[in-house]
This record gives sequence, structure tokens and C-alpha cells, in this order.
Amino acid sequence: MSHAIQTQLLSKQFANGVTALSDISISIRQGEFIALVGRSGSGKSTLMNIIGGLDSPTAGSVSINGDTVNYRDRKNLIDLRRSHVGFVFQQFNLIPSLNARENVAYPLLFNYVTREERNLRAARLLALVGLSERADHLPHQMSGGEQQRVAIARAMVGNSSIILADEPTGNLDSKTSTEIYELMRSVNKERNVTFVIVTHERDLASYCDRTIELSDGKVVP
Amino acid sequence: MIAKEMDFLKMSARQLNAKRLRVALTVLGIAVGVAAVIGIFALSDGIRYQAIETIKAQADLTLIEIHPRTSDGITQLITDTKVDALRETPHVTAVAPAFMDSYSTKKQTFLQIVAVRGGEIDKVLNLKYTSGRAFEPNASEVVFGAELKDRLQHNEGIRVGDVFTALVREYDANGMPTDRQVPLTLTGALGDRDDKFDRYVLIDMTTASRIRNEQKGYDTVFVRVDDPDNVFPVVDEISAQGLAAQGAFEQIRAVNQFMDAILIVFMIFGLFALFVGALMITTTMITSVYERTREIGITMAIGASEADVIRLVLYECLLIGIIGGIVGIILGFLFTVVLNTVGKPFIIARMGVEISSIFGNEIAKLSPGMVAAGMAIAMVFSIGAGLYPAIKATRLNPVEAIRGMT
Repeated sequence: MSHAIQTQLLSKQFANGVTALSDISISIRQGEFIALVGRSGSGKSTLMNIIGGLDSPTAGSVSINGDTVNYRDRKNLIDLRRSHVGFVFQQFNLIPSLNARENVAYPLLFNYVTREERNLRAARLLALVGLSERADHLPHQMSGGEQQRVAIARAMVGNSSIILADEPTGNLDSKTSTEIYELMRSVNKERNVTFVIVTHERDLASYCDRTIELSDGKVVP
Repeated sequence: MIAKEMDFLKMSARQLNAKRLRVALTVLGIAVGVAAVIGIFALSDGIRYQAIETIKAQADLTLIEIHPRTSDGITQLITDTKVDALRETPHVTAVAPAFMDSYSTKKQTFLQIVAVRGGEIDKVLNLKYTSGRAFEPNASEVVFGAELKDRLQHNEGIRVGDVFTALVREYDANGMPTDRQVPLTLTGALGDRDDKFDRYVLIDMTTASRIRNEQKGYDTVFVRVDDPDNVFPVVDEISAQGLAAQGAFEQIRAVNQFMDAILIVFMIFGLFALFVGALMITTTMITSVYERTREIGITMAIGASEADVIRLVLYECLLIGIIGGIVGIILGFLFTVVLNTVGKPFIIARMGVEISSIFGNEIAKLSPGMVAAGMAIAMVFSIGAGLYPAIKATRLNPVEAIRGMT
């Protein structure tokens, strides 16, 4: 099985001298459902941001689907975010002025996809996450769980093979959290989408194929 | 490609819709600026148009008077060659060269003599006689302008058909003046023309040369142009020949220069208003970028390039500019309507009917060009005002923006 994500001796040092990551070398296979755990400040989010091309490492390299990410090439990073990696955030981070369907379709706006195609793909994904009925609702008209479902659909709309979810259930009650995990797991199984989920809830980590634990910027063996 | 731009435009429209009140105030800012610029142009154009129309109606605009011109110490004389060239100039229908002289009557009334060839001056001036007839070639005959005829008839009893004595002043070798008496017959009097020919004496050129015992060069050429709109090209042609042109067209030129000067002063105020409008857009957009820091971060995280973010912000500005332009044009139009409706009685009340007649029916005049210019100005100012916030938006660090740390 090919590697979806591979990091080699990845390090990140912030301008203030704090070392967030130190020599991280991990490999995640295509279709794996991974929990990235660790205490606050252990470097989980920084690692996610670097893998997703939102941040750059100070040393080491990252390969996505076999291609090494060139962090100096803005086009390469934009292509990474458009076509390979989708994000799901703790705060859902939907665009408040857009309804559920438009939020899901929003990333395709930047990818030269026609409106008909955008709407079609958004509708399919809303059906997949069980929100067809809520397609015309604005974010503030939906519950937290529903908003996160929309966010998952949005992360998938660009046909990304990898979804990076940073504390996706951090703002949800336990019942809804379980539903969201089940949704992500079913997407993972049905579509072979690789999931890397940052969480500090060890119970939920039990849903995952594997757990990678970080401590003080290093992988706990 | 166009569909994508339209999608961006729609996206921007939704963002504006979400902050209607703030956008409305910003739109008003740019609209007032556009209305000010349009109003100023419409008013100055209206006044300019009416003033020029009045000059066209009241003055003999197609008559040009040409004189020798001196520049850099060299005087360009009017020669027969130049007169022939004038005859060949496009739009020139008649040409009458002339030289000027001065006699006086026995009672010392000054007589401004214009020596011409009868047929030529008649074609240029379209002379009309209230009494008598034109002078004959080489005869000691003269024709008086209307005002001169009345004055001399009243003061000296000279009537059409009379022979009167003109005094022609000459200077001897010692520079002492002597007045030679020349009998002249007043053969006719011109009708009222409301120009300087009312005070002139017309005489045959050959006769005038004979009286002076010398062949004088031309002092001036009177030229008739076919249409008022062709006067300026003919004037340019005359200037190109090194000669100076005078006439009622100079009033139009003066009006244009005066209105241009006024326009520049007024435009400073108009542009100031527009500048304030543009500042309002900048403020609105900077605030909007700050408020949407997280949203812009997310937009970048899901695949928007920096160019996409700039586009989203600038399209919002463009829409503000378009709406502001339309509202400004409507306000400018209302301004002209109010001015044309209320302004006229106001001018009559303050300055009297005579002055108000200058303005005809339209004090302010709105042209399609002004509407287009108003729209273009609004759009350019809006885009210009959005550049800083747009670039600022792209400088956001997506990670920090999403966390809401910026």
C-alpha cells in the first residue's frame, strides 16, 4: 500500500525560539484512519498545518501521495490544498453568509469548476453526510454537529484523498462527537480517504486504526 | 473564465449584502463625490453652451478680420498672394482685402475710412442700404455706416446725395500738418448692423489710393466663413500663414477659457469629495478584512490563491463603485433638474430677465459622456481604494487567521 503522508526528520522552530516539532518521521498509508494525540502544546496542530501546506517546516521534508511538497512554491501549496488535502476545524469555520450547499461548494469556486458541477457535487456530499434537507440553511441555523458535517463535506468536495481534522469534536457533546466519528469512519471505509484526526480524547482514538502520540514535539515511540 | 468572474462577483455581492448599512453609507460617500463632479460639469457645460449659443445668435460669428502679425520682430504683411491663398482656404466663401485711413469733416468729426473693392466687401458683409446706393469704382463716392450717417446728418446736415468736404491730413517735409480738402459724394447709407461698420466710411480702394497719391498695402482682410462650426479650422489655417485673426469667435474662445478656469477650481472640490468617498471605501474594506480575518484564512486554507483573495476584495469595491456611480449619476441628474427648474426664476429674481435670457432653458446640461465619465471615475476610485485592504488580506497568515490571532 502506498504512502499518503510521509515526513522525514521534520522540525519546526518558531521565530521566538520555541521548538514545536523535532525530527518527526512518520508514514501514513492511503486509507488509514489515524489519531494524532498528545497534550496541549505537544505540536499536533503544527504538524497538521505543515502537512496541509498552511505552515512550513524549518527542516525536513513532507511527501503527499509520493510527491515531495515544495514549501517555497506557492502554486505547489495552493495545488496541495485544492486537490490533495481537506481541512476540518474544531470551530467548524463555515462562511457565515453562505448556506450549507454553498459552503460545501465554496472550495470549487477557486478550481475552475462550473456552477452546475459545483452544485451537483455539493448536493451529493450533503446527501452523504445526511444533510440534504438542510442544504439551504445558513450556518447559524444549524446545530454544531450539522455544521461539522457540512465542514466534512466541504473537506471532501475537491476529491481530496487526505482529510486533516483538527479537534473536530472539540466543540460537540459526546453523542454528537460519536456521530461525527462514525461519519468520518464510514467515509474513510467507503471512499478510502485517509484521515488524520488531532484529538486529546483518548476514548475517540479507539475508533482509529492507529494512534500517533506526540510529546514535546517528538513522536512517542 | 467569464463564468468564474461572475461567480466571484456574486460572492462579493453576498458579502456586501451581509453588511448593508455600512455599504449604503460608503456608497453614499462615493455617490456624493460622483454627483459633485457630474453636477459641476453639467453646470459649467450648461453655462458654456448657453453663453456660446448667445454669442452665436447675437454676433456675426462667421466674419473674421485678418491683420498682419508681428512676431520676433518680423511682420507678416498681407500680400495679394496671401489673399489668394485665403480665397482657396476651405469653408471660406468670400474675401475682401482692405486698408484703413482716416479723414475728418470740416467740423472735425473723425471719419474712419475703410478702403475696399465694392463687389468684394458686399459679398463678405452682405451690405444692406437704407438709402442710396453703393459707391462706384474709382469715383469720389463714399458710403456711411448707420450710426455715422445719423450723427453727421444731425450735426453737420450731410445727407445721402450731398457732396461734402473731407479733410485729409498730410505732413510736409518739416513734419507740419496740413489739411487738404477733398470733395466726396455720400451715395448711400448702410442699415443698422450692430457692429463697427455702423461707424465706418466705405470707399473704393482705387479712390482712396488716389486721394493719398500712393498705393497702400492691405491693413486687413475681411473673410466670410460658410458655417460657425468651421470658423476655428479657418482661424487655425490663417494662423498657420503667420497672420492674426480677430472676430466674434474670440468671445467663444474667451468663454471657453473662462469656463475651463472655473471648471478646474470647481473640480478640485469635486475630486476632494470623491477622495473622501474613496477613503470611506478603504475604511469600510479594511474593517471588513479585519472582521473577516478568520474567513479569509479559511478561504486560503481551502485552496484560494492570493490572487483569488485580492479578486474577492476588489470585486466588493468595484460593486460599491458601480452602485455609488449609479446613485451619484441619479443625484447629479436630479441636481440638474432642480437647477433648471428652480434656478431660472432665481436668476430672474436676482439679476433680471436680461441676464436670465443668457441661460435659455437649460442652466445645467448633462451629457452621455459625463454619465460615462462619472461611472468610470467611481469605478477607478473604488478599485484604487480597495487595493490596500486587498493586499493586506493576502498578507494574513492562514494559520493565525483561522485561530483568530491576527
